Amino acid sequence: MADKTFIVRIKRQQRPDESVRWEEYELRYRPHMNVIICLRDIAEKPFTQSGVESTPVSYDANCLEEVCGACAMLINGTARQACTALVDDLEKPIRLEPLTKFPLVRDLVVDRSKMFEDLKRTHCWIPIDGTYDIGEGPRMAPSVQEKGYPLSRCITCGNCLEVCPKVNQRDPFVGAAIVSQVRLFNMHPTGAMHSAERLDALMLPGGIADCDNAQNCVKACPKGIPLTESLAAVNGQVLVHAVKSWLRGE
Amino acid sequence: MTQPKIIVVGGGLAGLMATIRVAESGIPVDLFSIVPVKRSHSVCAQGGINAAKNLKGEGDSTWKHFDDTIYGGDFLANQPLVKGMCEAAPAIIDLLDRMGVMFNRTPEGLLDFRRFGGTLYNRTAFAGATTGQQLLYALDEQVRRFESEDKVKKFEGWTFLSVVLDDGGVCRGICGMDLRTMEIRTFPCDAAIFCTGGIGVVFGRSTNSVVCTGSAQSALFQQGVYYANGEFIQVHPTAIPGEDKCRLMSESARGEGGRVWVPKQAGDERAGKDIPENERFYFLEDWYPKYGNLVPRDVATRAIHKIVFEMKMGLVGEPAVYLDVTHIPRETLDRKLEGILEIYEKFVGVDPREEPMKVFPAMHYTMGGLWVDNQNQATNVPGIYAAGECEYQYHGANRLGANSLVSCIYGGMLAGPAAVRYSRGLESGCENVPGAIFERERVRQQDITDALLNQHKGTENPITIWREMGDIMTENVTVIRYNANLQKTLVKLDELSERFTRINLQDRTQWANQTLNFVRELGNMLILARVITMGALARDETRGAHYKPDFPERDDANWLKTTKASYNEGNIQLEYEPVDTSLLQPRERKYTAKA
Amino acid sequence: MPAVAPESKTGYILDKLQSLSGVVPIGAYLVDHLWSNSYALVSIEKYNQVSGELQTVPWRIGVEAAVLWIPLLFHSLYGMYIWSRGKSNALSHPWMSNWMYVLQRWTGLLAFVFIGWHLYTERFGGHGVTRYAGVAQDMANPWYVIAYLLGVTACSFHLGNGLWNFACKWGIAITPKAQHAAAWLGAVVGVGCTLAGVAVVLGFHYAWFPLGGYVQ
Repeated sequence: MADKTFIVRIKRQQRPDESVRWEEYELRYRPHMNVIICLRDIAEKPFTQSGVESTPVSYDANCLEEVCGACAMLINGTARQACTALVDDLEKPIRLEPLTKFPLVRDLVVDRSKMFEDLKRTHCWIPIDGTYDIGEGPRMAPSVQEKGYPLSRCITCGNCLEVCPKVNQRDPFVGAAIVSQVRLFNMHPTGAMHSAERLDALMLPGGIADCDNAQNCVKACPKGIPLTESLAAVNGQVLVHAVKSWLRGE
Repeated sequence: MTQPKIIVVGGGLAGLMATIRVAESGIPVDLFSIVPVKRSHSVCAQGGINAAKNLKGEGDSTWKHFDDTIYGGDFLANQPLVKGMCEAAPAIIDLLDRMGVMFNRTPEGLLDFRRFGGTLYNRTAFAGATTGQQLLYALDEQVRRFESEDKVKKFEGWTFLSVVLDDGGVCRGICGMDLRTMEIRTFPCDAAIFCTGGIGVVFGRSTNSVVCTGSAQSALFQQGVYYANGEFIQVHPTAIPGEDKCRLMSESARGEGGRVWVPKQAGDERAGKDIPENERFYFLEDWYPKYGNLVPRDVATRAIHKIVFEMKMGLVGEPAVYLDVTHIPRETLDRKLEGILEIYEKFVGVDPREEPMKVFPAMHYTMGGLWVDNQNQATNVPGIYAAGECEYQYHGANRLGANSLVSCIYGGMLAGPAAVRYSRGLESGCENVPGAIFERERVRQQDITDALLNQHKGTENPITIWREMGDIMTENVTVIRYNANLQKTLVKLDELSERFTRINLQDRTQWANQTLNFVRELGNMLILARVITMGALARDETRGAHYKPDFPERDDANWLKTTKASYNEGNIQLEYEPVDTSLLQPRERKYTAKA
Repeated sequence: MPAVAPESKTGYILDKLQSLSGVVPIGAYLVDHLWSNSYALVSIEKYNQVSGELQTVPWRIGVEAAVLWIPLLFHSLYGMYIWSRGKSNALSHPWMSNWMYVLQRWTGLLAFVFIGWHLYTERFGGHGVTRYAGVAQDMANPWYVIAYLLGVTACSFHLGNGLWNFACKWGIAITPKAQHAAAWLGAVVGVGCTLAGVAVVLGFHYAWFPLGGYVQ
């Protein structure tokens, strides 16, 4: 009996300045396959469906259990992680494209360093005095931890930026992921002492005001982070901060 | 001399901690990582981090933590550093807490602790079931802060190829490859700290990430750094088998009350949840009443192997046993284990809150690694330091759950200042090393790459060679080891190495060529595989994770010693050195006692 | 190119003013305008009396400029600038809130054109004096009716959806539950305004006085 097969269509581009081409690969179906396994199959036999020899597809991947954030791409048009995209659940042929909101590197690899730069710009850290043994951290109510923990599971995959109409080449908007991180750090007892720095940063171009509430981010988040809640909460924080610092110098 | 220059390779927990410590001392750091450091494999650590803070009124102490660790490691670990780690652990937790890690809390707002394998104490602090991710992020944020102050410069998307050694055999820099432009470049430094993590990819499918190839360790080994205790490979008892990787089901599932079982009746075809309580065989609880489901990993793994392969009592249709959390209240599961249950749900498509999970052991961790000394994380090559999973110091013959995170951070905390002291003490820094020394190494590396790119007649596929290596390593060099099979493995590795010389690169472009990088890593993995297999073959005893049915007892008289592999012009030699057991007398390791 | 210097907070302030001006004064005026025009559904006399009073407020030009024209012009023009910075993607990500994002922009444009024309014909065309008969004469034209129905619906949608946006963007409704409630509130306002507006337009067209029953 012939093996069951299926088709994967991939948008290829060898360099940012080279032309785009689509390639189709016919792969042998096995149970529990995901998109990563498809890409590895292609690397082992990089011949298109019509028999033309190509090169293995470049793609980002690391943990393969949706906790590192590396393998985000457009799969059948949806921004998601390739490792959790199971072949059984996908419409065939499966269409793979790179994310469109970040500079392309090659094939399915894009450069998401913007997100890390924006985390820097918004001071997303808890400033500690040093790594010496100076005793315990601040106490924290379990209810605060239970609000903060889901936010701290953000894997910086960029899916929320990909689907946001306000993130594009024309606008430097930092996107929901970064705003949500600001909320996380402002929530921490030590972080709260320095919330003004983060809120000030979010008043600059590309900051919170760029959010226009399309609320796509929350639907694209693979970790179910309440991003729209974060956006609204930080919107309120920035506003209060802006008014207070303007009126009362606080 | 001028300001010293320090390079850290690897941006997981150990690498970031080392970076922070060096930056804190005022010395700028260049941090190299294949992936953006926030995507390092440390994110995969799930269950927690051990520290005997004794917040549960159990009378826990750092000495008991130390005892559990040494005993769990079957007395193969050098004791002084392990003791140091256990003593530092409570302060490490405090530090992480201060950095903002969202650890789970008690009603009083203090850190909550749970129980892990190989101990009787609630000693494991945790942040849901993604503790490694949370810890990594905290350190990543601190490093980002230093980066914003220009104290750290990151080279993300660079892979390490080799160190630059001067004529005296002293490390004076590193040679790396930009994974985008494929440029090969040398970077001078006075000391280099390697925190390059695990080696799971050598075994094909493991719980490790794609970058955990051990390539850097192998490259260092080939340049003269000893590789110690390579044969000690931890196989985690509970993982979801998968074709691309095996996904870990953390020990915390059992720490929170999860139970491992199989149907009493072999071949029982009913769904797990339909099998009544009295028809289930809780074999770990039955065989190890005192520790129950929380025996150390090597013990649990062998028990599952015994159930499945010897007793033929595994689940119908696949080699697996049940890991059951369905009796735990949903609210508890969502608060403490959501991260891992979500993984099961996403990859298997079944809700583990409703149905028992099907799990099987998978390669998880290497206790062995680069040899480092017993105080400074320094390797035998001057100027080269190592910390984290890539070195061998802390876990002996078997690592206890939730000890890896603490060992990574502790190692990084030691390595940073040690490298600083060493660099400051150098009579002449890297800036005085002739450019020709660097150029020599760059050309050597460029030649290797060019040879691969220019090899047009190759017929061998790198993925195929890798799969074959992984399959034979998993089959013969993991849970159960027979000398005959280890011999066969060495023969197979010879064959693969020979085929490797005829590799077909398939992609000869000079831009973001992932195949080229993978092939270079594969070459290094083949050598590391040999080190591991040779170590296993030589060690005729059973100790911790190293189990030989033909030599079923621990043999302290002959084998209470550290394996040290060295490399000399293509030849791997094994030598041994005594284990420092100055603090605890080795005693029989037995988890079968009654409660 | 960003409109403001990279380290400037002007953009933030303008964004917030744009958002605020949509609610106060513009949104509030829309509700008031529909309210006073609803007197057309009561009786001709009442309508003429009310509009007469409104047309004779002191400092009229100044008040109109401050409360209406300037905010309206700013809200619209800056709104279009904001629009130009976005890249709608509702076709590839067809979630409801994403369609609302797109509709908010197009209804805004429609409302801008409509209000411009409305002002031109009703405010400036009649030199600031509006009587029932004049409006009814205009409204006899079915094209007028269609334009008004479209315009009033666009304005109402824009206000209703805008209120929801406002609640989220000013951090008033934070939890999903609160945002859901804000969306309902916006929907009620939007539908309410649409119904009132449509009724007024049809009232003029058909000389219909459904609310006149209790006048006598």
